[in-house]
Amino acid sequence: MSDFLASVDRRAFKQAVFAVRDDESALDIVQDAMMRLAEKYPDRPAAELPLLFQRILQNAIRDHFRRQKVRSTWTTLLSNLGLGGEDDADPLETLEVDEASNIPSSPAEQLEQSQVMAAIEEAVQGLPGRQREAFMLRYWEELDVSETAKVMGCSEGSVKTHCSRATHALAKVLRSKGITL
Amino acid sequence: MNPNDFGNKMKPWLDRGAAAVGEMQATRLKSARLRAMDAYREPVRWLGLVTINAGTAQTLQYSVVQRVLLFLPIVALLAVLAIKSADEMDLGELDAQLLTQELPPDAFLDQDFRSWLGKPQG
Repeated sequence: MSDFLASVDRRAFKQAVFAVRDDESALDIVQDAMMRLAEKYPDRPAAELPLLFQRILQNAIRDHFRRQKVRSTWTTLLSNLGLGGEDDADPLETLEVDEASNIPSSPAEQLEQSQVMAAIEEAVQGLPGRQREAFMLRYWEELDVSETAKVMGCSEGSVKTHCSRATHALAKVLRSKGITL
Repeated sequence: MNPNDFGNKMKPWLDRGAAAVGEMQATRLKSARLRAMDAYREPVRWLGLVTINAGTAQTLQYSVVQRVLLFLPIVALLAVLAIKSADEMDLGELDAQLLTQELPPDAFLDQDFRSWLGKPQG
C-alpha cells in the first residue's frame, strides 16, 4: 500500500490541480483519496489498487465541485439578501487569481523544456472536465477503455469520444504554440 | 495523428510535470501518505478464513466458500443440539405417558411397541 501511494501521489496531485486549479484544494483531495483507499480497501490485491484509487480520486474531485457549487449557491443567496460581507469573493475574481497563479515563476520553468511542459499542462487544464478525465485516465494512468469507463461511470463509446476530442483539442492548441511532440 | 500515439507522446511530459512538483507540495503529499498509512491496518489472515482490519466489519471480504466454512461449525453445533434435544424429548414424553397411563389403547396393539415394552430397559 505504501509503495503504491508513493508511486501515484504526485500524478494524483497533478490530476487534481488540472481539475480544480488550486494547489491547496488538490492536496486536500489527494489526501482524502489516499485515506479512503487505506481505510476502506486495505485487503485488496495490489493489482486492484490503481483502478480503485482512480475511482476514489475522481469521486473526490466531483465531491469538491459539488461542495463548491453548494457554497457558491449559498454565497449568492446571502449576498442577494445583503447578508454577505463586503469581502466575499466574486467567483470570477477567484478564477482570475487562479489563472495568475499558473504563471511559471520558478527558475526551472524558465528553461525551454519547462516552457513546453507548462504549455502542455496549460492545454490539458484547458480541456473540458470529462475530456481531460478520460485523457488522463487512458494515457497517463494507462487504464484501458473499459477500466476508464468504469472509473468515469460512462460507456466505453463515450470514453473513446472524449479521448478523441481531447487529443484533437490538445494537438490543435500545441500546434498553435509551435509545439510538436 | 492516432490518439494513442499522441497520448503516448504526452505521457513523458506529464510525468516530468509530476516529478517537478514543488518542495512544499511534495512534503504535504508525503505527510498525507503517512497519515493514510496510519489509517491502514495490514489485514490479518488465519487459515485463509479470518480477515481482521481496522476493526470495521463492513470491510471484510470473504468468498462464498469461506462464508460457508465460517458458519459450518455453528450449523453443526446447532444440528447436534437439536437432535439430542429431540431424542430426549421423545423418551421423556413416552415415559410420562406410560406413568400416567395416557397412552392410547392402539399403542398396546402395536406388536413392535409391545415387544419394546417387554425388553429390559438399560
